[in-house]
Amino acid sequence: MATAVKRLDLTVGEFVEVAGRRYEVVPDREGGVTIEPPITPAAELHARRGTKPASAEDFERLSVDVPFDDEG
Amino acid sequence: MPDIPAGGPPRVPIEFGSLEWKEEVERYDPRSPARTRAQSARKAIEAGTAKLDWKRCKADGPGGTKLPGCRKLYVPLGKQGASQAPYGLVFQLIQKADDSLAWSLIAFGERHPANERTRNVYERAHKRLHGRYP
Repeated sequence: MATAVKRLDLTVGEFVEVAGRRYEVVPDREGGVTIEPPITPAAELHARRGTKPASAEDFERLSVDVPFDDEG
Repeated sequence: MPDIPAGGPPRVPIEFGSLEWKEEVERYDPRSPARTRAQSARKAIEAGTAKLDWKRCKADGPGGTKLPGCRKLYVPLGKQGASQAPYGLVFQLIQKADDSLAWSLIAFGERHPANERTRNVYERAHKRLHGRYP
């Protein structure tokens, strides 16, 4: 028996629900799209919690002696 | 839990938000090395028993990642090389409503994934900060 294929016209940034689970449409590395569990943006979390990114001055004051590596 | 011992700059607590923990750590199988190592690292951080070898993240990093105001810890804690410490925890310095500061978890994952389709921890951190992958 042939399996019917559901064709989805999805755009990066959209959300889909599959079997009750929410996924975000994100770019893959090959020019297409894929879906993955969402990563809630920090801005949304800050708004919920009444927090914000600390100032660059505070970060530098605390991190002046902290080294970099060759990664991100 | 203390960030820097007495005599250094002001101590800043380290926080693991429940939603971030769920999205970053609990996406892994409960028995997976990634998840168990993240749990061990968190336990040591919260107990204040670990020496924390912080590294700064880059405002303009490889692959287009932009992580200003962030630091990271390799996992397992105390290990350095990618083979010994294949995972990373990334934290953003945040200011709370009462003006206090905290290091808040924003991402956990592989530093150098073997699977090229897997997003590394820096890409995940970038996405949390900027809403999209670099």
